[in-house]
Amino acid sequence: MDFLGDGLRRALGLLFAGDPETYGVALLTFKVAAVATVIACAAGIPAGFLLASRPFWGRRAALTVVNTALAFPTVLVGLLLYGLLSRRGPLGGLSMLYTWQAIALGDVLLAFPIAAALSAAAVQGVDPRVRRTALTLGAGPWRAAWTVAREARFALAAAITAAFGHVIAEIGSAMIVGGNVRGQTRTLTTAIALSTSQGDFGLALALGIILLVLALLVNVALQVLQGRGDA
Amino acid sequence: MLELVGVKHRYAGRLVLDLDRFLVPDRSAVAIVGHNGSGKSTLLRLLASLESPSEGVVRFDGRPAAGERRRVTLVEQRPVLFRGTVRENIAYGLRARGRRASEIERQVSRVSERLGLSALLGRRRQQLSEGEVQRVAVARALAIEPDVLLLDEPAASADRAASQALYRALDEERRARPLAVCVASHQLEDAYRWTDDIRALAEGRLSPVTPENLFRVDLPGPDAGGLQHVAVGGIRIAVVSDKTGPAILAVPPTDVLVSREPLPSSARNVFRGKVTRLARQRGGVHLSADVGVELVAAITEEATRDLALAPGASVVFSFKASAVRVF
Repeated sequence: MDFLGDGLRRALGLLFAGDPETYGVALLTFKVAAVATVIACAAGIPAGFLLASRPFWGRRAALTVVNTALAFPTVLVGLLLYGLLSRRGPLGGLSMLYTWQAIALGDVLLAFPIAAALSAAAVQGVDPRVRRTALTLGAGPWRAAWTVAREARFALAAAITAAFGHVIAEIGSAMIVGGNVRGQTRTLTTAIALSTSQGDFGLALALGIILLVLALLVNVALQVLQGRGDA
Repeated sequence: MLELVGVKHRYAGRLVLDLDRFLVPDRSAVAIVGHNGSGKSTLLRLLASLESPSEGVVRFDGRPAAGERRRVTLVEQRPVLFRGTVRENIAYGLRARGRRASEIERQVSRVSERLGLSALLGRRRQQLSEGEVQRVAVARALAIEPDVLLLDEPAASADRAASQALYRALDEERRARPLAVCVASHQLEDAYRWTDDIRALAEGRLSPVTPENLFRVDLPGPDAGGLQHVAVGGIRIAVVSDKTGPAILAVPPTDVLVSREPLPSSARNVFRGKVTRLARQRGGVHLSADVGVELVAAITEEATRDLALAPGASVVFSFKASAVRVF
């Protein structure tokens, strides 16, 4: 019990002392997760709309692929990306390996299927009369899609939250393509793993608390945004 | 003029609509009547270009209707309102057309007054009754000033007074500007009150008879003489047909002979009952009677007077087995 109590005391000490390294890791983690979530949702939400509302050849297969990708192991994404970005890989010339951009790229690959699959489910949950009514009142396809999105805003917000939650907490890909380089690619999850293996339980716990607080803040922010518009 | 030509429409390979021609002339008032599942809603969605027919074409003034979609609008049965206030809903189509704020405000005021919605403009959808939602949906459609307004069961969620108010508002709108209105309804009485141009739809086809006395039945199969007796409500109607299985029976009201007592005749169908309603319209009277099932006969004013027919009076309906259409 002392071990846990000491760890918690050290964690609170680090948090309140404003340890620059701890907060630097937190900031980088938030930046990577935010960039990856924005890119993944910018591509994934329209893809979800397309999958849900437009019949096209191979649509069912595409939905199956996206749903399967939800369960894609993060280490496997890291491994594949490592193969592409390593010096001998086809994208080795970009020199992206062991950069925060590489971690963000891995996170985009992980978050895209979440955004696409949950958006598709969100759109499929909207009464089809909404889109028909928008069209018959003279709305073009974009305005009609926006009208549908407004009706599905809670489910779409849940898709964004799920995507952010997944990438901020993932470790497999970040460890492989980021390399856990101090001050450059060390994220909260990779730092927690390292601290735990080095026996610094207090630091690991402090980083874990920050991770939880970050996830909580993003969820609260999204809920506030949803709450602004009633029916 | 909005028209369907040579249209066949299928869902999952099943033919749901089969129409050689269907016209909605400019400034007309058309009612489409038929049972649930007869194809009314599908027909309206095709006319509104919300679906493309499997075969055939939909034209507006000779051009493909899909390109003229903004001139036609549909209010669906049990319409949905968008997120936002009644005012925002009514303004939706005008905003989609990029109209100026002042014009939107003027138009919203005009149609909300016509539909009696002025006091509800600030309300949201969950603060409205079903009937009010229906009126808002009609106002939203009228606001964009379409050339053709399509309404699917507009009186379904309204009481009689509300339904009459709705039809009155549509008449006023038609007098005020060039507007054709096409209403799908299963309420014949409303349809007859509102227009003379009534088209009956059964099993996706236009019925060749007046859209009354239509019954969905199961034909047992003919006897040796080609006659069969089909259960309809509490009576059995004699029919000449060699068909068996599911079918629609139509008894043309003009083929029903009305008397106070049974008459010796060749008619195989003779049913005694009581008059339930008399609906006067151009060219005569539509007399409804409960003879075990509700049947309508078309008779003249003079016959109505001579036989002293009034609600509650005893009456006998007779018609020949060969007069009953089967399709």
